[in-house]
Amino acid sequence: MNPSELTLLVLRLAFLLVLWLFIFGIVYALRSDLFGQRVRKMSTDAPAAAPVPFATPPPAPVPAGAFAQPPAASASAPTEQFSRQKAAPLPQAGPEKATAQTATRLVITSGPKAGTEFPLGTEPVTIGRSSDSSLVIRDDYTSTHHARLMLWHDDWMVQDLDSTNGTFLDGKRVAVPTSVPLNATVKIGATSFELRR
Amino acid sequence: MPRQSKTTSDAREAAPQTGKIRRLHLPQKLRNLELFLLILACGINLGAVVLVQLGALGQIDTTLVLLGASLSGLVFAMHIVLRFVAREADPFILPIATLLNGIGIAMIYRIDIANEEAGWASAAVRQTVWSGLAIALAIAVLLIIRNHRVLFRYTYVAGFVGVSLLLLPLVPGLGREVSGARVWIGFGSFATFQPGEIAKIALAVFFAGYLVRNRDSLSMVGKKFLGMRFPRLRDLGPILVVWALSMSVIIFQRDLGTALLYFGLFLVMLYLATGRLSWVLLGMGLFLGGALIASQTLEYVNGRFTNWLDALNPAVYDAAGGSYQLVQGLFGLAKGGLIGTGLGQGRPELTPVPQSDYIIASLGEELGLAGVFAILALYLLLVARGFRIGFAGQDDFGKLLGVGLSFVIALQCFIVIGGVTRVIPLTGLTTPFLAAGGSSLVANWIIVALLLRLSDTVRNQPRLVV
Repeated sequence: MNPSELTLLVLRLAFLLVLWLFIFGIVYALRSDLFGQRVRKMSTDAPAAAPVPFATPPPAPVPAGAFAQPPAASASAPTEQFSRQKAAPLPQAGPEKATAQTATRLVITSGPKAGTEFPLGTEPVTIGRSSDSSLVIRDDYTSTHHARLMLWHDDWMVQDLDSTNGTFLDGKRVAVPTSVPLNATVKIGATSFELRR
Repeated sequence: MPRQSKTTSDAREAAPQTGKIRRLHLPQKLRNLELFLLILACGINLGAVVLVQLGALGQIDTTLVLLGASLSGLVFAMHIVLRFVAREADPFILPIATLLNGIGIAMIYRIDIANEEAGWASAAVRQTVWSGLAIALAIAVLLIIRNHRVLFRYTYVAGFVGVSLLLLPLVPGLGREVSGARVWIGFGSFATFQPGEIAKIALAVFFAGYLVRNRDSLSMVGKKFLGMRFPRLRDLGPILVVWALSMSVIIFQRDLGTALLYFGLFLVMLYLATGRLSWVLLGMGLFLGGALIASQTLEYVNGRFTNWLDALNPAVYDAAGGSYQLVQGLFGLAKGGLIGTGLGQGRPELTPVPQSDYIIASLGEELGLAGVFAILALYLLLVARGFRIGFAGQDDFGKLLGVGLSFVIALQCFIVIGGVTRVIPLTGLTTPFLAAGGSSLVANWIIVALLLRLSDTVRNQPRLVV
């Protein structure tokens, strides 16, 4: 059975189309490489006026210190959540949580490399002395796998990985995974850093 | 007043606990994207073979489809290996290489049908087997080289290997001459191989290692002239040695393309390492001077230039070794037009060697301008990924190696496609991944493996060391 001219024409055009689809698929997938990371709308400026409702709960105005208590007091990570109607007109009270939207970089504020920074993505940041960490801190007070920062429901959390000398958030030792407020100092060994916009 | 909601979300109850630390299992986003693109690429490859059969035979024959399926199996094996040994490797390189390789096999198969060749005589079957071998070697490279900096240790070994591979075809009894160029080696009557293809990898490693070690003297000192800092006379040693090497390739192996490839590679890596334009100008001057002298004194180079400049002259067209092939290729491209005659429905076999040097003309005839541009876009993406890896790299050796390896693919495409489309004089080189030829496939798949390894190390590096 010989395929008709028309079938062949359609097939041949379809082939070229799929070939180009493949190429545009690749270009679409690497668009962040070509045009940079997408600019995110700041969700804090005017929550009530924002045309798009929040996809994620707005920052909880609870001091981070509240969570840095012994495990008995707060066994779970932050559990507070606002309903959207309630939260929208509320002004910001306590320090603002560092979320995937608000925190864009990690800045070293003291220690040998004070002033350097690197951008935060969505991947966890591991901190420790071993060279497979994302942030390698080589001093006498840092453990091999000391701590990690990760996104938990869009909030940056710091978790101490049973380090010898501890991880300190605003001067309090981190015992359970704790959400990190923006511009709060996290101290590991002789180095401290902050998450900033 | 603390505004605390009384309702707690169940999802947040399961916040990570300290205590026993478990390994973090992250979804392998990059690998899943790669898998998706690979499935698409293998689908397109299968479609190409089926279209060739429908167009040329009018029916679907399962023999080569089976071979193609086994090839797809190997590519997926490589994907699985990547999931274990290079989780963060670039997800685009493997699908692009797979697609180019598959389109090449389909086109070679189409020309086999026209020449009525089957079984082991069929170039498509051999190409498929070579592809399998090449992918297996690429997997081996991924498994053996766990960190590209290992290669830095063997800089001078790589240089020695590269130069000796380059000179291997000149050894009496081992070298073979194919259509004028002595760039092949063979054992007895079978298994011919082009060692120069592998040499380009070894030389890229050597140049990268050498330049990282010695670039200070090549970039810092020298007199300023015309706004550029020119090197001292005694620092000209390396560039003169490489120039002499490529000139000897032109004279003794009678291969213009290979010489241009190696010299261009060295020049680009030198520019990358020193950041000085004067080296590029100096090198281009040297090469053009050498090529000009060669075109006056060497008969075959002279012929290439005549064919290029005066291709449509009937006297040149009819001459032995004249522009017949070049012009046939151009006619084929013209016949293809915008969308081509369709796979299996053109007459690409009218051009001599349509499956190797002229595969781009064959593809241009059957897929048209739209298809050729798609193929060029694939090369562009592949090379751009390589440059990106070099750009993101943190050690200088990795940067130079990544850019050098991908530039070699770009330059090779330019030399051969430029030759076929009469932009530059035609010189015999293989189109990476597409053209029939085992050594080229092996070399290019090893380059793919090295780029994947490089991209994995680049992404896994610490972002900041305090």
